Amino acid sequence: MKVVVSVSLGSRKRDHLVVARFLGEEVQISREGTDGDVDRAVERIAELDGKVGAIGLGGLDVYLFAGGRRYVVREGERLMQAAKVTPVVDGSSLKDTLERDVIRGLARDGLLGPETHVLMVAAADRFGMAEAFAEAGCQVVFGDLIFAMGMPYPITTLDELSEVARKILPEMAKLPLAMLYPQGAAQEAEPDAKFARFFEGVDVVAGDWHLIRKYLPPSIEGKTIITNTTTRDDVALLQGRGARRLVTTTPVLEGRSFGTNVLEAMIVALAGKRPDELGEEGFRGYLDRLHLVPNITVLGG
Amino acid sequence: MSELRSALLEFRNRVNGDERLKTMNRDWNRVIAIEPTDAGERVTIRYIEGMMQVDDEPAPAPDITLVAPGGILADVFAGRMSPTEPYLEGTLAIRGSQEDVLRLDFLSLMIWGE
Repeated sequence: MKVVVSVSLGSRKRDHLVVARFLGEEVQISREGTDGDVDRAVERIAELDGKVGAIGLGGLDVYLFAGGRRYVVREGERLMQAAKVTPVVDGSSLKDTLERDVIRGLARDGLLGPETHVLMVAAADRFGMAEAFAEAGCQVVFGDLIFAMGMPYPITTLDELSEVARKILPEMAKLPLAMLYPQGAAQEAEPDAKFARFFEGVDVVAGDWHLIRKYLPPSIEGKTIITNTTTRDDVALLQGRGARRLVTTTPVLEGRSFGTNVLEAMIVALAGKRPDELGEEGFRGYLDRLHLVPNITVLGG
Repeated sequence: MSELRSALLEFRNRVNGDERLKTMNRDWNRVIAIEPTDAGERVTIRYIEGMMQVDDEPAPAPDITLVAPGGILADVFAGRMSPTEPYLEGTLAIRGSQEDVLRLDFLSLMIWGE
């Protein structure tokens, strides 16, 4: 049996373990939260090194992308280097491929188009998705400054997003992750509706689930949410607030959609190759063989 | 004019001349105390509706306080040094809410970043 562990800076309350069969092989997938404790995550990765097929990093991105550039998050790099033998992945390679394809697919199916107003809570952590929305002609607000920086300034073009990223990300990526992204108990806090006005008038809310949840307004009547890493409780929260549809870009097992880091780690473990050996083509090959399609749940609204 | 004051005035001119920064920060009204740890002068920045003022009037209850040797403060505001490294190394102490610290960092990067 292949064993994949996702070590997350997120809350321990979201820990889980499942065993499932993929491509004829049994895979044990577990998620271990560290409540935002980076040192604990480093220790745990070092303990798992050489004992599991692959390690995913959850609750953070090691690499951020914008405008053809890659920015390395310092704390994420430290986590990645904690394992010497076992491949450690953050899901960014797969995210770029998978989420881009999901948005293209939704556009082909007529669920997205030039009339669709989209709020992406952050785009630097999923630039492939951002580009795909733009390709589909959607009217997109990129909320990176709003939801990560607390600044009520909507970015509406990829060019401006890339320009701001070039100025701030090389330095911001050196800061402790907890300054930029909800971790540990912050992921369980009651949503704060202070940016509710940016959710108004949009058809689709997309991007990182914890950022969406952190600022989820009391009513999201009729909106489609495109994200992943949701649990049954999260789905109930969205349903309670009137969401129309939930589209998760990764498979759902036991009511929970995978993080892309988990899926990437699983592919790496199944392939027995490091991510750079697999490359985009290799990942695409596995995605095709796994017959992954987005999971669309109609919630009502 | 001290090196720090000169750097702050240049920083102020750049911030106030940037229309987009004004829009981005129009909601951010803050008083920022600049406290050099050596013999340098104390200066107050008042950031009101996207416009920055620099003066000597002490701020009894600043929202943010920057404490560092005057040379480091001057280098940061003149764009010769990013605030991130001295902040992480502890040579630049910033007291204030996390959100305000981030916003100030953002402001400086938008002026002096690539």
